[in-house]
Amino acid sequence: MSDITFDGYAPTWCPGCGDWGIRVGIKTALEQLGYDPSTIFLSFDIGCSGNMNDFLNGYAAHGLHGRAIPTAVGMKTAHHEMKTIVIGGDGGIYGEGGNHFIHACRGNHDITVIVHDNMVYGLTTGQVAPTAKQGFKSKSTPRGIIEIPVNPLALAISQGATFVSQGFAGDVRSLIEIMKAAISHKGFSLVNILQPCVTFNKINTYQYFLKNTHKLKEDYKPNDKKMALMKSMEVLEEKFPIGILYKEDKAAYHERIPQLETPLVSRQRYADFEPFTSEFV
Amino acid sequence: MKFNWKIGGEAGFGIMTSGLVFSKIATRSGYHIFDYAEYPSLIRGGHNTYEVVVSNDEITAQKWEIDLLVCLNKETFDLHKYRIHEKTIVIFDPEVFEFEYPCVKAPIGFTKIKKEEKIDQMMVNTIAVGASIAVLGGELSVFENIIHQQFDKKGAEVINFNLKLAKIGFEEAKKSTVQLDILKKKDVTQPKMVVTGNEAFSLATMGADCRYYAAYPMTPASSVLQILAAWQYKNKMVVRHPEDEISVINSALGASYAGARSAVGTSGGGFALMVEGISYAGIAEIPIVVFLSMRPGPATGMPTWTEQGDLLFATHAGHGEFQIIVLAPGDPEEMVDLTLKAFDLADIYQTAVIVVSDKFLSESHKSVMKEEIDKKLQNHTIDRGKITIDTRQSPYLRYKHEDDGISEMLIPGKKGVYYQANSYEHGEDSHTTENSEERIKQVDKRNTKTQTYFKNHFVQPKIFGELKEASIVIISWGANKGPIIEAQKMLTNQKTAYIHFTHVYPIPQEPIKQLFSRCDGKRMILVENNSHGQFGQLLRMQTGIEIKEKLLKYDGRPIWPEEIRNYITGGSSSKKTHERFNGIKSKVQDDINTNERIKVNKENIKTQQEEDILYKLEKFAAVTNN
Repeated sequence: MSDITFDGYAPTWCPGCGDWGIRVGIKTALEQLGYDPSTIFLSFDIGCSGNMNDFLNGYAAHGLHGRAIPTAVGMKTAHHEMKTIVIGGDGGIYGEGGNHFIHACRGNHDITVIVHDNMVYGLTTGQVAPTAKQGFKSKSTPRGIIEIPVNPLALAISQGATFVSQGFAGDVRSLIEIMKAAISHKGFSLVNILQPCVTFNKINTYQYFLKNTHKLKEDYKPNDKKMALMKSMEVLEEKFPIGILYKEDKAAYHERIPQLETPLVSRQRYADFEPFTSEFV
Repeated sequence: MKFNWKIGGEAGFGIMTSGLVFSKIATRSGYHIFDYAEYPSLIRGGHNTYEVVVSNDEITAQKWEIDLLVCLNKETFDLHKYRIHEKTIVIFDPEVFEFEYPCVKAPIGFTKIKKEEKIDQMMVNTIAVGASIAVLGGELSVFENIIHQQFDKKGAEVINFNLKLAKIGFEEAKKSTVQLDILKKKDVTQPKMVVTGNEAFSLATMGADCRYYAAYPMTPASSVLQILAAWQYKNKMVVRHPEDEISVINSALGASYAGARSAVGTSGGGFALMVEGISYAGIAEIPIVVFLSMRPGPATGMPTWTEQGDLLFATHAGHGEFQIIVLAPGDPEEMVDLTLKAFDLADIYQTAVIVVSDKFLSESHKSVMKEEIDKKLQNHTIDRGKITIDTRQSPYLRYKHEDDGISEMLIPGKKGVYYQANSYEHGEDSHTTENSEERIKQVDKRNTKTQTYFKNHFVQPKIFGELKEASIVIISWGANKGPIIEAQKMLTNQKTAYIHFTHVYPIPQEPIKQLFSRCDGKRMILVENNSHGQFGQLLRMQTGIEIKEKLLKYDGRPIWPEEIRNYITGGSSSKKTHERFNGIKSKVQDDINTNERIKVNKENIKTQQEEDILYKLEKFAAVTNN
């Protein structure tokens, strides 16, 4: 047993912030699954969520805003035996990095993307996020946002993600179970976590989410893509399902690259150059 | 002997393939070549040309005068006749066009053969190459061997048909009165490769043990992606084409952080998207090699043409203060050397190293000795600097202060250890910090790398010619090397020296000042393929040396050796090439003049294309009806 733990510095989040619960959820899920900080890759985005870089230990990249997914894709491709987790916010994953999100779903890259979805930008002090309800007033949209919200669950399902789930930061117990399932899933897994921002979002509060979330029924079957898409559309009526909406078993991206029998970082150097130079004679 | 063969026709005629085949016929017959293709950013319907200079000795640039012009359409003759002379042989089809011009006519009945053999326009190339070999006194068997290799996978029928067409062209041209011995077969003891800068970069990327290459297609860098993608199953590299250049650079940084040597490739616009990633590599100290093949900008600019317009952009890429390294090879051999070195430098200095090319270097072929390239690749030993899979430090400090500015970089995976590649300012242990002392220490640490680089890895410019005796000194960099060296050969009455910079950024002040102090009193000329004299600015910024006389070209075309010669013999004031280019009629001007002609000819192009398509449809219908 290693003597290192996941606990980094003491978090600097606002008291009452949903991030506290999410960190506990990730940490507990990893511990219960038997990981330690030396056996995982973490790719943090920029924002209050990404600031977890100093509070959750691991071999980590705290890279650029919006780019946590491509960074993780590179890490995973180079060393596919490492469990790889992306931690970011609604702005980084669905806004600035929205393109990467779509294409990582398509590729079924074996990464778990954990998104702090609080409908607002916290670290930059309260501008609207792409998941906010149409009409949401913020510092950058004083008369309310014109765009309709991104639907992360429907987007992920339709673009080929093989594990799509939603959690609530106020329900850490079920969040742990969802995360364990997501991290154990082979392929692209999304955990969209509804979360109040106690400082900058006075609409989507704990009370709001308690009222508008519901757990998927026990007999819900996550292997039906059409049903999952229908469920994901409930957010249009401000009904947020909690649980695993969709799951399918499919070869992950790295499994479809034949040269990745052994991890890219640890294979022998290739040195038979002559057949390649001969092509040019 | 320098003999210039040129073929021209519509895009879609297969000009590129036949040009490369001609180059290989020449090298396999024992000669050196240098070739260059011009094509507009269209798939079909534009004017494509390919020219190959054949020489007994090594050759590094194009030649202005055309000695054999193969016209697959009238446009080819119209656009290039101003470069032909009285002895130029013009292969043309009298059924397509006739002309009166002082040159040597070699008519070939392409249209007649086309009808007799029921072939489409693409196949006319094979006839044209066969005819060229006959006129130049070469051996058809050399071409036949290439056909066998080229169509090996397509089966005997395709091979035999192409062999037949080659022979028809060859024998048709044998009837003509012109017979030269330019391609007379010599004994070949040492095989030559025909490679572009992009191909040289690809080979060296493999030689340097790069394991992850990502790129989004962008001319003129795309061929690297295609070459490496094709090779990956054999050499085990992972080659990806992600959704955009931002994903390209960030995935490569992720792979590099994970311990795999990684590289990306692009041109100016894609590089602009990558720049924030370069900055991340700077602060998190992640090794990365960036291949930047320049084309004329701004924005989309002239996608399939050449320019050295992004040097200052490359050297200043990335917000914030940190050191990157920029290397600029001048030919395929230097491309191999500097690319191998770039991967080592990226690892040693844990930063971005940019290998700068341009369309001219990236896409023109040069013959190089195969043995030389093989040796460079095989003898290269990998130097990963302070990158390690194990550490004795406890606790492990990723950004530990060191006298040389370089900390130990642990490849993730060691048990009991963890750390971050942090894009925030960080302390030695990689945790985020905003502490003033820590900040200063980390900035100083990163800045120290520059001095370490000057001490250990900077290489002085190469000098071609005798600097001491020279009265004229040319200063330049990158792909201008070839044309300048050819110009020096032409300038037999003047003593010239050429200072060729390859390690263009950063440049140490004192050693370069010492070098330039040896040039006092000489005529100094800066030659660049851009309008700002960007290397001149960079040199002045870094060393205080200013070169006042400049020969600048920025019309999207490479610099011709003849332009340099004419400039040097013609006067001493700084001029742009198109204002100064008196000895030979300006190609730029001519291109402007021909715009009208191109418009008119579009009608003909359409007819010809339609003819081909109709022919194919008829063939298809015949098959389906049977």
